[in-house]
Amino acid sequence: MTDTTDDLAVLMRQALAGDQRAYAELLRKTALLLRPFLSRRLNADSEVDDLLQEILLSIHKARHTYDGRRPYKPWAYAIASFRLKDHLRTHYADRLRHAEDIADLENILHKDVTETNLDYESISGEIEKLPEKQSTILRLMHQQGYTAKETAQKMGMNESAVKVAAHRAYRILRKKLER
Amino acid sequence: MMKNIERLVEKLAADAVVVRPAPHPFALGLKWMGAAAAYLAVLLALTGLRPDLMEKFGEPWFAAEIALLLGIFVAATLSAALLAFPDLHQKRGAAWKPAAMMALFIAVIFFAWNADDPPSPLPSHTFECTLSIVLVALLPAIWTLHAMRGYASTHYRTAGSIVLLAAFSVGALWLRLHEVNNSVFHMIQWHYLPMLAAGLIGLWVGRLVLKW
Repeated sequence: MTDTTDDLAVLMRQALAGDQRAYAELLRKTALLLRPFLSRRLNADSEVDDLLQEILLSIHKARHTYDGRRPYKPWAYAIASFRLKDHLRTHYADRLRHAEDIADLENILHKDVTETNLDYESISGEIEKLPEKQSTILRLMHQQGYTAKETAQKMGMNESAVKVAAHRAYRILRKKLER
Repeated sequence: MMKNIERLVEKLAADAVVVRPAPHPFALGLKWMGAAAAYLAVLLALTGLRPDLMEKFGEPWFAAEIALLLGIFVAATLSAALLAFPDLHQKRGAAWKPAAMMALFIAVIFFAWNADDPPSPLPSHTFECTLSIVLVALLPAIWTLHAMRGYASTHYRTAGSIVLLAAFSVGALWLRLHEVNNSVFHMIQWHYLPMLAAGLIGLWVGRLVLKW
């Protein structure tokens, strides 16, 4: 069985023999090979880039499992698919963890999220520790006095998303402050 | 973004040293099999073979049962070695052979159970057999899993399951060759169903131990 990219197998053999230039060349070619594969399956370019780096690291870690005597591409794709599945599993598990109960959402969307019992100045330290998007929303709404609608316009989001993000941020803050 | 990739490539290339490729999975499997066979031989030498073993080999269902237990052990060990490689060393078919062996084994046990008429008397002990098999299987399971951690399995759940199946087949073989017991029902209940359960537990163990 021959690989259409036999040169990759040759490069890997040279890399295993300690040839750093061949190894760099192999990793570059592998990145070019895998980028479209990942782009078709992921939305954000930054996500593709992060995952590609992770795959290259995995290839580096597992390179002793390739002997240069069988096609290189199936070996590299096996590692790429493995990391992609892992990434998607974590991604969806995260989304599930952060998902809002639909009944909860109905309550939030009718609330005026700019009115809270929290005083911005007294908890600004905690707000800064929140994820960037949430802390920006709270800063705009509570320090600068924008409404949820205005905040949404400023951040290029829709109003409901701002309310949901604010609600999540309150929940995190409440937990921290109750401790 | 491409800059990040380029930086990483340069960093990894700078780390490149001479790397000895892993042995062929069949060589690796043979090594693991050799170790397990030696362990089984020592155990049998210490605990003794059942006195009626030669007579029992004259019974076709017993001979088939032992042959297939050996088959499961060989197929599962080779499959574990293949599963240690990210691409299964591009021998996907061979990696799934234990499933065929298991199916044959289940069929043989089913026929042996039907042939056991009138049923042989149940032994007085019960879970002790499972416990003995677990204790015997522990060592091969641990060393195989430990060896596999040095590779890069992309099917870590299946790999865990297959390793436990191989290890339990060693335990089951030992007990079948050592214990005077002809009750097929007992064998199913306390030897082979726990072996299947071990395969299922292996899915979890694999995730725990082989994820990288």
